[in-house]
Amino acid sequence: MHHIVLERWSRGASALHARDPRAKIVPLLVFLTALATARRALPEFSAVLFLLLCAALLGARIPLLAALARAALVLPFAAVFAAVCWLSGDPARGVAVALKSYLSALAVLTLVATTPLPALLRGLEAMRVPLFLLTVAQFLYRYLFVISEEAQHMSKAAAARGAPVRPMASSGARFRAAAGALAVLFARSYGRARDVHRAMLARGFTGRLPTLYDLRFRPADAAFAALASLAPLAARLAVERIG
Amino acid sequence: MVSIVHIPDGFLSTPVWATLDVAAFPAVGYMARRAQRGFDDARIPLLGVMGAFVFAAQMINFPVGIGTSAHLLGAALLACTLGPAAASVTMAAILAIQALVFQDGGILALGPNVINMAIAGVLAGYLPFYLWGGGRWRTAAIFAGGVLSALVSAVLALAELMLSGVRMPAAILGVSLALFLAAAVLEGAITVAVIGALEKIQPNFIRQPRAGRPWALGAAALAGLLLATVGVLFASAAPDGIQRLGRQTGIAERAKALFSTPFADYQAAFFQAGWERKAAGGLAGIAIVYAACLIAGRAAARKRRP
Repeated sequence: MHHIVLERWSRGASALHARDPRAKIVPLLVFLTALATARRALPEFSAVLFLLLCAALLGARIPLLAALARAALVLPFAAVFAAVCWLSGDPARGVAVALKSYLSALAVLTLVATTPLPALLRGLEAMRVPLFLLTVAQFLYRYLFVISEEAQHMSKAAAARGAPVRPMASSGARFRAAAGALAVLFARSYGRARDVHRAMLARGFTGRLPTLYDLRFRPADAAFAALASLAPLAARLAVERIG
Repeated sequence: MVSIVHIPDGFLSTPVWATLDVAAFPAVGYMARRAQRGFDDARIPLLGVMGAFVFAAQMINFPVGIGTSAHLLGAALLACTLGPAAASVTMAAILAIQALVFQDGGILALGPNVINMAIAGVLAGYLPFYLWGGGRWRTAAIFAGGVLSALVSAVLALAELMLSGVRMPAAILGVSLALFLAAAVLEGAITVAVIGALEKIQPNFIRQPRAGRPWALGAAALAGLLLATVGVLFASAAPDGIQRLGRQTGIAERAKALFSTPFADYQAAFFQAGWERKAAGGLAGIAIVYAACLIAGRAAARKRRP
């Protein structure tokens, strides 16, 4: 599964990995906003941003081609949208959308590939995102693969019992069978959630996940945040001045 | 089928994403507080694991016709089992993880996506069940909830895209609306089938709303929701019409003042005149749907408390 790749990347040891999550979240937001509001000289600006992101990824020793391919997940969506724009006689907008969505996805990927998710959520908590939501997201991520594998086991078991025998069953019967499978998955997930809850209560859980380390915002983090936030802004000013 | 409900970054214009981000933050905070009330903090794992369930549920494909398949989106199912506030928080967490880890939907576009699915989608999915889930029309109510949740999410997403200045040819617009409608009907059918199967396994998974809510009130709420949804779509397709209407009633001026103040300087610098007025008209429409959903949800939550 491709999630394991991201887990491995985010546990690397580079200067970028070592930064406080907040020192990476703020520049990401600046980057995304600068990109989203850019109108003039967009291709040149995109090229500069692309080089910046590539430099960051190389600096963090993340396989560049694999990361570029992963960010391309947004392109099918963007392609459909660009085609619609083309048909309605606005090809420039289609190109802009494709550039912006790809670069935004690559920027988010750069953050997530250099920050383990628990640390990222801690950073968001320090930035006043509701703790309740973050804790739910944290549990969601932890159990995502458990439940997904359960779903895969179930569909494999169904296939082993000859589920896709098309002439045998009517469409309605197969529809009901799929609904039954989903209901069983729901019941199992619910049961597992209850077990997890009880096990955590037994270990003194109060609704807050303890962490093994505290966030510390060092001078190096401040310097990095300032530089990384200024870079896209400076690039935009320079490109628009020339263009 | 291309899903347009996860909008990536770069698709929406700045006033649209910024406004909806600003709106989404307090909405999610409100839903989180509402879900926490009467809900032991230590039960948070339950919501997380149910969010993971929705992810996994999208792997189970339902056969539809010959060679095509569909899967559950889950807003209505979560609302009928966890209640609207907890379902909203769960959906918001799902969207956040999808945007961060799976590059599915943008970060700046998280606010719009949360409004479309976690707030409006969940509340629209819960409304019919809340109104008629206790009576004879239970199955129909669950079906309507599934249809409405998928339809409201998709129509809001489409409206936001069009507000951002995408001009869709009428043919493409018609085709996408037909696809949305088909997907919404499927969502309704799948939700009914899954809830039916769930009740056979363990009846107490599904909430039991009180029977005998007033018909007229419910019909009015539902009609209002449908009208607002259709209205938003038309408003964003032809902002000039609603602008004229708004000028007569004075709504647009107020809405414009309300919506454009945070970006006043910004728009002067970046956008040509006339553009923001169109957006304000359409955004006012979205705000009306949003407010309608929030009020309906608040009323639902208040009545449910003993």
